[in-house]
Amino acid sequence: MFPRKPTNLIVAALCFCVVFTSLGPVTLAQKKTAPVEATPPPVKEEFKFGQVDLEVLEQADLLDVRLERDGLVLADEAANAYLRRIGKSLIPRGLELERVSWRFHILRDPQPNAFALPNGSIYVTTGLMTLLDNESELAAVLAHELTHAMRRHTYMHNRSNRKKFLTMNVMAAVGAYAPGGVVGAVIMVVTTVAPFIMVATIYGYSRDLEREADLKGIDMMISAEYPPEEMVSVMKLLDKDFEGENIRLFYNDHPALDERIKYLSSYLGGRADKVTPQMELHRERAAYFQNVESVMRHDLQLSINAGRARSAVYLAQRLVDFHADSENLFWLAESYRTLGPRSPQLTEKELTNSAKKDAAKKSLKRTNEEEERELLATPAGKENWQRHQQMAEDLYRRALSAENPVPVAHRGLAMLYEKLERGSDAAAEYEKYLELSPTASDRARIQRRIETLKEKVK
Amino acid sequence: MRDRFGLKMFALVVLVVVSGSHRINAQFIHPKIKSKETTIRTVVVMPAKVNVVRDSMKGPEGMAAESDELSVRVEKMVAEVLSKRKNVTTLPIPGAAAAPADGDSQQKYNVADFQTKFDELLPKIMKKRSDVKKGRFSMGDEVLNLNLEKGADAIVFIRGAGKKLTGGKTAMRWLVGGVVPAYLRLQIGIVDARNGEVLLYTDPDLAGDPTTAIDRLRKALEEGFKKLPEVKG
Repeated sequence: MFPRKPTNLIVAALCFCVVFTSLGPVTLAQKKTAPVEATPPPVKEEFKFGQVDLEVLEQADLLDVRLERDGLVLADEAANAYLRRIGKSLIPRGLELERVSWRFHILRDPQPNAFALPNGSIYVTTGLMTLLDNESELAAVLAHELTHAMRRHTYMHNRSNRKKFLTMNVMAAVGAYAPGGVVGAVIMVVTTVAPFIMVATIYGYSRDLEREADLKGIDMMISAEYPPEEMVSVMKLLDKDFEGENIRLFYNDHPALDERIKYLSSYLGGRADKVTPQMELHRERAAYFQNVESVMRHDLQLSINAGRARSAVYLAQRLVDFHADSENLFWLAESYRTLGPRSPQLTEKELTNSAKKDAAKKSLKRTNEEEERELLATPAGKENWQRHQQMAEDLYRRALSAENPVPVAHRGLAMLYEKLERGSDAAAEYEKYLELSPTASDRARIQRRIETLKEKVK
Repeated sequence: MRDRFGLKMFALVVLVVVSGSHRINAQFIHPKIKSKETTIRTVVVMPAKVNVVRDSMKGPEGMAAESDELSVRVEKMVAEVLSKRKNVTTLPIPGAAAAPADGDSQQKYNVADFQTKFDELLPKIMKKRSDVKKGRFSMGDEVLNLNLEKGADAIVFIRGAGKKLTGGKTAMRWLVGGVVPAYLRLQIGIVDARNGEVLLYTDPDLAGDPTTAIDRLRKALEEGFKKLPEVKG
């Protein structure tokens, strides 16, 4: 399990940054390029399947079917092939495990997360793939998850849970704070099929099992010539909390970020210095973005649908910085339009645990529209809205003047004008959109909007 | 005198505790339905999501296959009750059966995303169910993107959670107490297919093993749609 960690351990992180800045990519490239020694992770071949384990396996197989059937798995062949290639390169050669068949899937979920099922299915969310910076970081996630499956952590976790009776209480806690949106959809599916897998999905396994997955994951990365220190970078990335949703719960038993960084650094030791040219290639950002650009765009749509506007703005900006084409500019514009009167970043006060809990409770009491109305009644909300609508308009215009402009930018502009009560401008933009996309799947909705706007203008 | 006062207080406390621990099952109807401005003649029933877990002495265990079966049963029964009791016709979901290999993953995503949108709205509805009567909740005009058949008036979303007790847990319930008995609790929302407004919310429930209590399920659903006006002619 590779969940986001709600931590606030700045000192340790800074110390780590200082150490690793001196070992940055350029420095590393100049260092020794000696062949890397790696120890393939030993696999507990002695694992004996009991009836309880076979039941877990059956539930895992059903979970695969359910996620696929419910439209939660991304059917992007190129992106899936890319994920599969990385995943397979990490698996030790000749390794065969009883009742494990390796499969790699991308989950349509904007929440950064990944999990492994005991049958060998590894899931990485679009939200996590969009947040990562390079292939090595994705390899770190996969190596960690592969270790969970190789070392039969799910079975061990289930056996231990059955003894501890904890699951029920943890589920109650999840019920109190489970986020909505697509995140909720995945949680709901997982809960139905195997409650204990859901617990692992959100909170991770025990400290010991997570530690083992981190350390063995590093060995696998080295074997496949991925720079192992990227495991630490992923942890820092997962610590980012754009939406104020990482609530620390009593049961959250993961090793804290600083503790993980500490033991990973100590385990890495001198091995972090050994860099091969292949490792350097795996660290390239542009190559990674090129491979997952379609996933990133899909994730932006999901983030916007789920009201994760702050994440959307951050991620879309990265995409535009990489490739400022018409479609990426459109996504950034959409993100700003969705951000509306909200602040682009949460304040330190808003990121405290109690503030996050309050916000979670408050979000249950009002709809998104009500939240926007409340914010627009404040001077700060008005100011944010003015700034964001201006940015969105500029970006839509840029998207339309770029090479191969995407027609949806007209639709975005129309929605913005509609909100600004510029009825005739909005209708004109909607009409342009339909003219350029006569077979658009949202044609009925747009036509209805045009009719309503024209009636209002009359 | 003091004794009688104490007795009254005790009775009051018991009354408060008992009424507080009981969920009041009710139906909440949008004013447009009440005033007959909107009539529900045809609906599209979205795939139901009903989750059942087996509560054993060693914690909850997933019942994926049984949950799938129950979801289909509830979905069919909702359509049946709406048809028999309210004269409402059920239409199919366009492209619902299409697999990604058919090149129709977009429609599959659309359905999935609308289900998710309802999941996001549901806790807010449940927080103040009576606000459905004020027309406070809506899924927006994005519902039109589902491209349902032109005659579709509304979309039905079904969610549910249930629990079945194992033999050990049942024994524990009788011997020790403090164990919630088997149940099934449904949450059903009917949304306007043209503008996304939540037209009806109902949460029927039943006591007993959710995987076998078929008649009780039908009764609960009939009760749950009691206030929905019947289509004449």
